[in-house]
Amino acid sequence: MISRREVIKWGAAAPAFAACSHAAFASGVQGCDAFLLDQRFAAQVPQNHWGIPVMRFDGDVTGHWYQTIDPAWRQRGYVLGGITGSDALFVLETLAQQHGRRVVSRSQVGAADARGIAPVSWIIAPVHPSVVA
Amino acid sequence: MSVLPPDLDEAGFATFLEQLRGAVGADWVWSGEADMFPYRDSFSPVWNTGEERHASAAVAPADVEQVSEIVRIARRHRVPLFPISTGKNFGYGGPSPNVNGSVVLDLKRMNRVIEINEARAYALVEPGVSYFDLYREIQERGLKLMVDCPDPGWGSPIGNSLERGVGYTMPHFRDHFGAHCGMEVVLPDGEVMRTGMGALPGSDTWQEYPYGFGPDPAGLFAQGPFGVVTKMGFRLLPLPEYYRSGMISVPRRADFAKLVDHVNYLSDSGLIGEVEFGSPLSALMGDPQFLALATKTGGPSNAEMDAAAEAAGLHSWHVELQIFGPEATTLANWNYASDRILSDIPGAIAIAGDHFPLPATDDQLDNQTQPYRSSIKRRRSLGVPSLGAWKIVRDDGHVGFFPVLPRTAEAVFEMQRVLGDAMKEFPTLPPFFNALTMPLFWHTHTFQMVFAPSIKHDDPAHNAITHAAMKKCVAVAAQHGWGDYRAAPIYQDDVSDTYGFNNHILRRFHEQLKDAIDPDGIIAPGRGGVWPRRFRS
Ligand SMILES: Cc1cc2nc3c(=O)[nH]c(=O)nc-3n(C[C@H](O)[C@H](O)[C@H](O)COP(=O)(O)OP(=O)(O)OC[C@H]3O[C@@H](n4cnc5c(N)ncnc54)[C@H](O)[C@@H]3O)c2cc1C
Repeated sequence: MISRREVIKWGAAAPAFAACSHAAFASGVQGCDAFLLDQRFAAQVPQNHWGIPVMRFDGDVTGHWYQTIDPAWRQRGYVLGGITGSDALFVLETLAQQHGRRVVSRSQVGAADARGIAPVSWIIAPVHPSVVA
Repeated sequence: MSVLPPDLDEAGFATFLEQLRGAVGADWVWSGEADMFPYRDSFSPVWNTGEERHASAAVAPADVEQVSEIVRIARRHRVPLFPISTGKNFGYGGPSPNVNGSVVLDLKRMNRVIEINEARAYALVEPGVSYFDLYREIQERGLKLMVDCPDPGWGSPIGNSLERGVGYTMPHFRDHFGAHCGMEVVLPDGEVMRTGMGALPGSDTWQEYPYGFGPDPAGLFAQGPFGVVTKMGFRLLPLPEYYRSGMISVPRRADFAKLVDHVNYLSDSGLIGEVEFGSPLSALMGDPQFLALATKTGGPSNAEMDAAAEAAGLHSWHVELQIFGPEATTLANWNYASDRILSDIPGAIAIAGDHFPLPATDDQLDNQTQPYRSSIKRRRSLGVPSLGAWKIVRDDGHVGFFPVLPRTAEAVFEMQRVLGDAMKEFPTLPPFFNALTMPLFWHTHTFQMVFAPSIKHDDPAHNAITHAAMKKCVAVAAQHGWGDYRAAPIYQDDVSDTYGFNNHILRRFHEQLKDAIDPDGIIAPGRGGVWPRRFRS
């Protein structure tokens, strides 16, 4: 189970990702094992930021799901942060729930487009005893 | 919103949950609003209204013995269970049940690929195995087999096929229930049954001969409330050596009749895989004058549409063909298909498309290299699971009505007209049915059309329109002999009502079966419009 302290920490972190200032980002990603960036909304962050792998995609998360996230979510631990469209977050959140994980922090960081898709900054962490680190 | 199972008070519910915990372990039972949020249908048009269906709890067994035990406990407490495999049934109810207070029997932990037999081209899987899982296993073992996937790959062969879901490769594999072979089911009394050759101890043909001997009840478990499926076999397509695509377009509106007949022949003869029909005229839909013509009450005449096509210098229809097999055979099939159509329809044009050996490269899967604008989604066409379908989801989701219609141009034009006119009552929805609405060739021998209005969590007025439009579409379609193939729980009674031959004898027969084996409605009461006596009143 993640602690209340960690939830609060991540709650503060997600908006910090969105600011994308290097300092804010550096403090925010602490505790994350990887970071997902939807290039439709956030393109500036370098590939490997403060030692945390940054996975980039354009709305379709299939490649990262298959290569990295699915294998990682079969193990214990693995906290994932991201700035993505709300559509991509819906996909990840639904998959997360099936793997004992939850969105522990989220904040919308921009207006929705005509299709109703807004950029969201979030953190998904393990919550079920079978997958917490 | 916390709910209780029907006819159970707080204390009874607490005892019931305690017994579930005893069966599967405390970590695998959930209740309470926060834990149950993921089991809501986030695509529901009745989101946050009194009509939304809520589960009271969820339980995740590890194996078939635990499933039997849960069913027995539920039977003792008369609590309805709602089994799900991967629970991704979005557009058709998501993981939410028919009956408020049901307990979701979440089979996600039963996720073993039990067997894949390459030489005999089949797989045997548990419910929690997703299309991604099955694909990964095939890739990692280097097996030359192809999985026929639905558009989103996160669902499961078992959940999808029990909904009679569809895919995109060769005709007999696209019908996922049709491609199943053998199942294991926990019945409403907790007994474990195997269908077909699985009933014969020592048989090695469970995944090769579906029927065994005597009546085959397998069909009752698809869209039905008769059992919890714990294993299911599937026929797989041997990985074809080569893939070839091509497009054929025809000039006049009336040419669609011959085009459809040729495509039917090619498909029924096993010469082509899934096709995508389209219209070059859809490029004109942004022009208000053309839009008015395409959505005209009573439908435009062929002459009006042909005049518009001629003025724009466009053909009326096209079809994208996909061909699988050895390279030489795919070429011969393409040449045959294009000769056949071009020699019969004056002015028809054929354009050869991409072709390559399988498995495809990433670039080929991304379908960037066609010499024409293609609407084929290559991953799903080549049995590669994807999550890219989410790019087509508008707002917070949608509900789906997919009426089944005959494979003729006449039926296509009639449905365009009839449902187009009927849906004019809902002017804020996109014109799903218009003079260019294309049939989908998903199932093996029939067409469908798509009506999938969106829902918005923060806009109940919009959702109410979607809800009313769904109901009207079901009713109007039925008046013309077109029935829905699959529906969310909130529409299952409406759809079931339309299958009313001989005073609803089909439903009455199902009810008799339900009353006989599950009078208290322990397994998914109401699913497929089949209610046990307890809930009928
Ligand atoms: C954008 C988009 C595209 C889609 N494209 C397609 C498509 O191409 N093809 C298609 O078919 N669908 C499609 N769908 C619909 C849906 O997402 C898929 O059909 C999905 O595979 C169903 O979810 P699932 O496999 O997790 O099944 P589940 O949700 O697990 O099961 C579906 C239903 O079957 C019953 N059930 C499940 N498991 C069992 C069991 N073990 N025993 C008894 N009953 C059981 C339950 O009633 C359950 O509600 C699409 C949806 C969206 C939103």
